[in-house]
Amino acid sequence: MSCGNSVLTPEIQGKIGFLGEKTKCWGVVEREGLRRFSQALMDPDPRYWDDEFAASTKFGRVITPPIYPSYMDRSPPWGDDVVSQSFKHNINSDGMGGFPNRSGLPPIETSLKRILNGGNEIEVYEYAALGDEIYFQSKYAGIIERESKKGDHLLIVTVETTYTNQRNQVLCVTRQALIHR
Amino acid sequence: MPTARELRNKQQLHWEDVLEDQQLPDYCIGPITTTHIFRWSAAIENWHRIHYDKEFAVGHDKLPDVLMQGSWKQSIIPQYLKDWVLPEGWVWKASFQHRAMLVPGDLLTVWGRVIRKYEAEDLGYVDLEIGIKNQANTESCPGFATVLLPFRDGRKVPYPFIKPSQ
Repeated sequence: MSCGNSVLTPEIQGKIGFLGEKTKCWGVVEREGLRRFSQALMDPDPRYWDDEFAASTKFGRVITPPIYPSYMDRSPPWGDDVVSQSFKHNINSDGMGGFPNRSGLPPIETSLKRILNGGNEIEVYEYAALGDEIYFQSKYAGIIERESKKGDHLLIVTVETTYTNQRNQVLCVTRQALIHR
Repeated sequence: MPTARELRNKQQLHWEDVLEDQQLPDYCIGPITTTHIFRWSAAIENWHRIHYDKEFAVGHDKLPDVLMQGSWKQSIIPQYLKDWVLPEGWVWKASFQHRAMLVPGDLLTVWGRVIRKYEAEDLGYVDLEIGIKNQANTESCPGFATVLLPFRDGRKVPYPFIKPSQ
């Protein structure tokens, strides 16, 4: 049984297909960031650190794990400290509150307060390599309404992000289903 | 989990070697600790407190403990598949949901099963069912993936990969 009114308003529907600006990640793919990432992933693949071996592979050079570019949107060294900003107005912040939205996507204005990660899709076309610049561009690929088993209305917002390099070659595409409930 | 030496010397699996319903070798990971989870947060600069501040995770967000990140699960799946298809194959795509929460103390099994193999545009595709289970056999990350494996004698898997026209 349905409880309450639809949460998929015309304003929210109007955001489907909205494309954010293409944004450059600060810095380039570099060895130390790649080491920390691959160790945290527990992947000792020599393609990520051994120049001589990597040169002998089909990739021809040191490469990154498949969706490494999707973690390259890190805080640039200028501007406000985002961690301090998180706690500036709320000492009980979840730690993420001060982070700017760099996707360029407008917020989904809804009375639904909680956001859960419902799932992911990835497509991989090329591995990033040392020295690569990474660019990303996001869009609202879909926004649909669902009912929970209790009859509550939910929004499932799919954000698609395409990652490219300095030659505008697509490296990977990610889609994240965000459940607003 | 394979060592660097094993990954360096990996022998190619060919499309012809694979059978439908075949299980991939499992990856057994763990027990996962708070330190593993914190290390991932630090590596990707994810400062959400539910991943390293147990008091916040339990007291504020009513979670059972600090949580293993969805982004880690999103990254271990392509790693697992990449290792299976090395050195000449390709992991094209994967999709998965986030179900059971993973917490410190969990022993994880990354698994896969071949559900279909087919040819398209002279390339060999393999569709897989994939997931990550905990020690109670509870599924945390059910999903599907498509990879390419080279033929013994045939067209090489292109790099960069170009998705098929249909």
